[in-house]
Amino acid sequence: MKKKALVVDDNKDNLMLEKDLLEVAGFEVFEAENAAAGIAMAKKEKPDIIILDIRLPDMRGSQAARILREDKETNGIPIIFVTASVMVGEKEEINAITNSGFIGKPIDTRIFAKEISKFIKS
Amino acid sequence: MMVNKKKNKELIKGKKFAEGIKFWQKQISEVGKLKSSLKRKKAELKKVPQKLQNQLETRTTAERMINKQLHHEIEQHKQTEREAQDNVGYVNGIINTIREPLIALDQDLRVVYVSRSFYEFFKVKPEETVGQLIYDLGNKQWNIPKLRELLETILPQKTTFDNYEVEHDFSTIGRRIMLLNARQIERGVGKEKIILLVIEDITQRKEIEAGLEKTHEELEKLAVELKRTTRAKSEFLANMSHELRTPLNSVNGFSEILFDETFGPLNEKQKRYVNNILTSGKHLLLLINQILDMAKVESGKMKLALSSLPMKSLLNEISLLVADMVSKKKLQILLEIAEDLPDIEGDELKVKEILYNLLSNAVKFTPEGGKIGMRAKRFDSAIEIVVWDTGAGIAFENMGKIFEGFFRVDTPYSRITEGTGLGLPLSKKLVELHGGKFSVESEGLNKGTQVRFTLPIISRKVV
Repeated sequence: MKKKALVVDDNKDNLMLEKDLLEVAGFEVFEAENAAAGIAMAKKEKPDIIILDIRLPDMRGSQAARILREDKETNGIPIIFVTASVMVGEKEEINAITNSGFIGKPIDTRIFAKEISKFIKS
Repeated sequence: MMVNKKKNKELIKGKKFAEGIKFWQKQISEVGKLKSSLKRKKAELKKVPQKLQNQLETRTTAERMINKQLHHEIEQHKQTEREAQDNVGYVNGIINTIREPLIALDQDLRVVYVSRSFYEFFKVKPEETVGQLIYDLGNKQWNIPKLRELLETILPQKTTFDNYEVEHDFSTIGRRIMLLNARQIERGVGKEKIILLVIEDITQRKEIEAGLEKTHEELEKLAVELKRTTRAKSEFLANMSHELRTPLNSVNGFSEILFDETFGPLNEKQKRYVNNILTSGKHLLLLINQILDMAKVESGKMKLALSSLPMKSLLNEISLLVADMVSKKKLQILLEIAEDLPDIEGDELKVKEILYNLLSNAVKFTPEGGKIGMRAKRFDSAIEIVVWDTGAGIAFENMGKIFEGFFRVDTPYSRITEGTGLGLPLSKKLVELHGGKFSVESEGLNKGTQVRFTLPIISRKVV
């Protein structure tokens, strides 16, 4: 069975790029363009991994992650943050979320899917 | 005698002759006694003048002594007076030397004494001062409520009062702020008290203080503004970083997928074009990153993530990163890494960046067939690394410009070399951030370059 990945990013280009790369790597990919839609999608699809942009239009990625962590249905799903801004404060924000990782932008298309796969516990 | 006569008559009448004889004998003996007594008295009387003489002499001696004593006392008194006179001179000397105006008042607040500096400072004359009521001085200019309070309310209760501040606008010398020290002292045994007032003009000091306070306030405002600007700047940098990298993410990502032919093959021209897009995109990304890093270092925002770095393996690892470029240009690379090279405390990514920048510079600026190399050894409490090449070198006149950023010497290599022109200045800043020293040496144009830098074994930087 295909692994499910949820990508949440308000940038359509990024969304497409990440989706294409993950699909090529054999993932079934779900998309959302804001945190609220992403959280709803996560509850509905229970993906194996969630890829979250730090800056989302309705809230910060870390805040969305905390909401996901508080929900029994989603609190075990690994979350990978993808962002171009790598400020010190943001790293701390990310570190506070359990079972999470970080990939900086621009993503390396050649290893992106592989890096994502590493976070999924087989 | 009357008694004796009476008795005599009775005796004769009583015909007690024997008794009479006895009586007369007694009388005669009495007379004899008287005689000798008289004689004695006479002799004594004779002695009187001598006695008087003696007494007189004693008296004269005493008088002389008293006189002498008096004379001595007078002399002493004169001496004391002279000394007192001297003391007055001495005291006046002191008083007139002191810069602060001093005024002495009697109990009726009339001026008894005024120091030279008082006349000078308040521009008053002695004849219109001494004997005057203090409030009447200088056309009643001294009728100052605060001074009245000090003299009439405070001093009767306290004999000493220091740093009493009085502000007054004098018609002669303008607005003054003064600090008054007041003393009530008893002058001599007569218990006549006088009041001493020493006046310090602090107008200028106050002005300076006010100026300082103002400057301080302005500085604080500036500091707040500076903090705000710095924050705005770093926010701007963070935003710029995000805004610039997001589209680049797309450019690089999609062109990479195209180049990799993930979704189907490209013809040769398409592939070359896509490769150009990718190469330029990556170059642009490097530029953005380095500019941001420079800005971060300069604003003190660059933080080091320190860990123990196994330098021997790290140096080998970096040399492998440039191996492709080295072999493409048919260069020879020489590594001389000391056996006892210690591990150091440093930021792994930054140290790698420094080494990569310098090694890739060496490759870029060395013509085909040349040599590049890296030497590393322990140097006191640091390690010293030298990255050298036999390439373009640096002309003496350009030595000062190489750290300016975006400076690239116009050499045949500058056209064929890829670079941002920020590698060297950024590397220097990163070395310095680690607490190391960084220098570039070249014998001249086409004589090769040596970049020498140190990294402390134990980081001196608090992170």
